Amino acid sequence: MPLLETVGLSKSFDGLRAISNLDVDIEAGSIHGLIGPNGSGKSTFFNLVTGVYQPDPGSKIFFDGHDITRSPSHQIGALGIARTFQLLRLFSEMTVLQNVMVGYHTHVPYGFLSTIFNNSAIIKKDAETTDEMMELLEFIGLADYAGMPASELSGGQRRLLSLGRAMAMRPKLLMLDEPAAGLSPVNVENLLAIVMSLKERFGLTVLIVEHILKVVMETCDTVTVLDYGEKIGEGTPEEVKDDHAVIEAYLGQEMDDDEVRATFDS
Amino acid sequence: MAAVNSIFRSLSEFIDQLSAIHRMLPWLLAFGMLLPLPQILAAVFNDYYVYLANRICIFIMLSVGLNIVKGFCGQVTVGHVGLYAIGAVSAALISLHLGWSFWIAFPIGILVAGLAGVIVGLPSVRLEGAYLALATLGLGESVRIMIAVTPAFGSSTGLLSIPPPTIGSFTFDSFEKYYYLVMPAAMIGIYMSFSILRSATGRAFMAVREDTIAAAVHGINVVKHKLLAFVISALYAGAAGGLFAHMPPGYIHHNNFTIIEMVTLLMMVVLGGIGHIWGGIIGAIVVTVIYDQTLEFYFYQPLLFGLSMVLIVMFMPRGIGGLIDRYLVTRKFIAVQEEKADAAS
Repeated sequence: MPLLETVGLSKSFDGLRAISNLDVDIEAGSIHGLIGPNGSGKSTFFNLVTGVYQPDPGSKIFFDGHDITRSPSHQIGALGIARTFQLLRLFSEMTVLQNVMVGYHTHVPYGFLSTIFNNSAIIKKDAETTDEMMELLEFIGLADYAGMPASELSGGQRRLLSLGRAMAMRPKLLMLDEPAAGLSPVNVENLLAIVMSLKERFGLTVLIVEHILKVVMETCDTVTVLDYGEKIGEGTPEEVKDDHAVIEAYLGQEMDDDEVRATFDS
Repeated sequence: MAAVNSIFRSLSEFIDQLSAIHRMLPWLLAFGMLLPLPQILAAVFNDYYVYLANRICIFIMLSVGLNIVKGFCGQVTVGHVGLYAIGAVSAALISLHLGWSFWIAFPIGILVAGLAGVIVGLPSVRLEGAYLALATLGLGESVRIMIAVTPAFGSSTGLLSIPPPTIGSFTFDSFEKYYYLVMPAAMIGIYMSFSILRSATGRAFMAVREDTIAAAVHGINVVKHKLLAFVISALYAGAAGGLFAHMPPGYIHHNNFTIIEMVTLLMMVVLGGIGHIWGGIIGAIVVTVIYDQTLEFYFYQPLLFGLSMVLIVMFMPRGIGGLIDRYLVTRKFIAVQEEKADAAS
């Protein structure tokens, strides 16, 4: 059974169809790529799955045996879907440590009332959580900046922090929205290495939306290609690479094999 | 500056040492140091300054509560003073008409204000920023007007001779005695706000303030936390109101709950530092003292306060608390880097 399954997923904004009748299966333990030209509905797909948008009637989204089609975002997060945002959406006035602590929110072992009536126990539990989160920050290389406001990090560090915040949720499925956008090639390598080792360590399933095709081709097990909100191709990177519908949607014109190879390898 | 630095550092080290022995020790020390304050104030100045200390304690409770909802949860509310009024009037009416003691009237006043807090908080589910401010402004003002036009709530004469609290034969009937009621109350309020804001709930409030979508995606129930922040702040306002109503001479009037009062409260939170854990406390002390010292320029006070609010928002958006925070964070970072450099060499 796939970890995430969408059946007939549709979403239109004022009659404009952003996603239509999309069936996607994401197998547990895989790295799944989602590619497509600008405006093909990749980010909308993310927002639908995480409950930021409500899908049109008739759509179904299943995650890990639960129907999450109409669930609010915070419940979907608690079930084990973590995501990053294209524009990061960090809590910029909070410190780096506080950012990842928020990610841990669903696992906090105490309720609101005990913060007032049993404060000493909470201080102890928060100290344990802090140790755990510092370990995570160490892993992504931000431990030195734990006390700094997130707004003072550099662009690459912010991207790492948004990944760390998502990982603090201990998710089953990690959805990365253009994780490599705006990063230098060295940083992209670094980020991918971190994602891969996180996947190994926590047995994650990863869904990547990416513009840089090299990233998708090198890391993904399966790739789904979207165009105008519809699935136009799916398969291993090798299969997708040779699919003419995909090449046409992506590149817009006929190319000979050498040109195609040059585009995908660059 | 170097002298200030070293004083600041030794002070914070001293507090760290104390809390290492027992985490309540700094609180007990502060409590003990504040105990003889009214006697000192009465001896050095006069009784009026004891009254001022009482007022500061009440304002601390109000602004600490406002800081939770506005500073930490980011909900711009201008209805806080209405909740204060609800707490004051309901506690006063219970004491006056039912003849129940302060110790019953006070908690009931807090609960009534807390329920009203849910109503003031409801618009926040849909509205944000200036729109939310307008909605809460309407609610707050309507409470005041309700009091002003209803004879049972005091109308234009106000509620008179509200009995002071008593324990056995001891009556809190002077400012000096009443101080021993409001000061511990303010301390408990501060302590509770620290416990709430330093827990996961406080972090969730901040996350809602920073970005509601990101907060929701990370598993935070945004609506629940917004309402929770409103209710907590309402409980604080209700407590402040109940204490204000029973403070000698036991008189409340709807003029105590005007929009000017609300602006003063906002000023406290903004000056103290929006979203800074000490913000409300610093602000309440500084603003009450400045307000009092400039009483002779009564007519120019709104101008003075309005202008300084604009200047603070422009040039010191994080307030006094923000400056302190920045200083501490930078120092810590430098210390860590120096340590690393030492270890490397």
